[in-house]
Amino acid sequence: MGKAALIAWREIRWEIFGDRGAVIRTGFFALLPILFVMSGRGVQGGPNDISLLVLALQSTLIPALSGVALIASTFTQEKENGTLVPLLASPVRDIDIVVGKLLGMVGPVMLICAGSLTVFYVLGSMLYGASRVANALPPQILFALLVVAFLYLITAGSWVLIIAAVVRTTRAGQQIAGLMIGLSAAVFAILGVAASRIADGWALVGLGLFFVVADIVALEIARRVWQRGEVIGRL
Amino acid sequence: MIDVRDVSRSFGRTVALDHVSLRVEPGEIVALLGPNGAGKTTASRIIAGILAPSSGDVLVDGISVRADPGRVRVRCGMVTDQPSLYERMTLRAYLTFFCHLYDVAEAGPRTEELAELLGLTDRLDQRLGAFSRGMKQKVAIARGLVHDPPVLLLDEPATALDPETARSLRTFIVSLRARHRAILLCTHDLDEAQRIADRVVVLYRGRVAREGLTGVLRAAGPPRFVVSFTGEIAAARDALASVGVTAEPANADNGHAALRFDADEPGTTNPAVLRALLDGGLRVITLTREERSLEDAYFAIVAEAREPETRERNG
Repeated sequence: MGKAALIAWREIRWEIFGDRGAVIRTGFFALLPILFVMSGRGVQGGPNDISLLVLALQSTLIPALSGVALIASTFTQEKENGTLVPLLASPVRDIDIVVGKLLGMVGPVMLICAGSLTVFYVLGSMLYGASRVANALPPQILFALLVVAFLYLITAGSWVLIIAAVVRTTRAGQQIAGLMIGLSAAVFAILGVAASRIADGWALVGLGLFFVVADIVALEIARRVWQRGEVIGRL
Repeated sequence: MIDVRDVSRSFGRTVALDHVSLRVEPGEIVALLGPNGAGKTTASRIIAGILAPSSGDVLVDGISVRADPGRVRVRCGMVTDQPSLYERMTLRAYLTFFCHLYDVAEAGPRTEELAELLGLTDRLDQRLGAFSRGMKQKVAIARGLVHDPPVLLLDEPATALDPETARSLRTFIVSLRARHRAILLCTHDLDEAQRIADRVVVLYRGRVAREGLTGVLRAAGPPRFVVSFTGEIAAARDALASVGVTAEPANADNGHAALRFDADEPGTTNPAVLRALLDGGLRVITLTREERSLEDAYFAIVAEAREPETRERNG
């Protein structure tokens, strides 16, 4: 896994922090928790526990959508610029390339998700009272939210990876990533409604299980699609 | 050493390589020539261990590309026609990254050594996006050499280089041959191939159309002569046609008009040519033998390879 970590580190250091535009775009997601917290102010007595949970879920997951676009563009750009060929010609296993690239994108986006959740928690505590927020969002729920965000990123990232292997241009990759983001946003909205009715954390557990199954399927397909011969054949 | 054994590769219905065999010994430069789509790049990618052959096998230093492509990749350095660099990285970071991928023990000193070798020392901390096309190609060459591989696969390495840089690259490739590297050079630049290749393999539609020593291939075909004279070229051509010799205009060093012709039997043809020109009232200045270029040989080989399909097309 040493080489996967090396590839991940390169992505983070040079492709994300080396691109000011990407930093500014992802920084936009810091505004979301502020909006979510403020959205609860209109409700008399403030939002109830379930509403706080749903808003926290959305504060955590919506920044993860940026990760999908990031993963799509990194792979299609590599194909378009031909930079994959030297990487494939080096003594690195196929799985190290796939995992390295995924981690390189997922790592920074997870930091943004955690930051967004932290901002939501702190602002919510200031506006609605620390004990109320702590009661609605105990540590195990906060942890579960981050795990769900991580699983979502790996799932969506793997599927985007599969699509990126098939499409020829960055634009096509981004369009498909956009469709995926739209679809994910719709799923999250439905989940929000479902969570508010089911109560407790069972919706999160169900969502987590769904992502685990989707992960296994998607990573296996991604591994097969990203074998050297397959990729080179399409370049 | 590279030993390609009866390799075929298909992409769907397209046959990119069809039972190709070739060898490159240590200390040898072999030029792989052929028109676009002949299979040169596919061949080099199979040798590099990044594309599996559909059938046949490649041995690199005795290691089978089918059995252990990872170890083959460690032994190969690949330079592609496009530099394909991560342009946000600095030169130092880029070469160090590839040193780590190839498990080079002393990545820092090796990076500086390569930068010095290619005259890029003062650019080590600049981003690659700011480099000129020629400098980017040099970086691509440095990337292929980070692990000092015994086998080098060069796919159009001099593309877009200015003449001076292309010349220094040629000198550098020749110096690698002196260090017993086995070098396969895929190129469209026949002049480059003629200057540095020991042997030539011509591919046509995925098959080996001809293989041989560069000098032997160039010498193939009937001897060629250039005759220079004073007078009209049309009149001279007519005179030569009258003795059954087909000629084409050529450049003469002395500024006179000149014609080029092939002579299967120079002892008979050349006196006949001279007599015909003199009888036609033309003053012959020189008659010299012209050495054939690799370009001449290449076009003759490709035309020969194309002949069956031309015949088929014409019914």
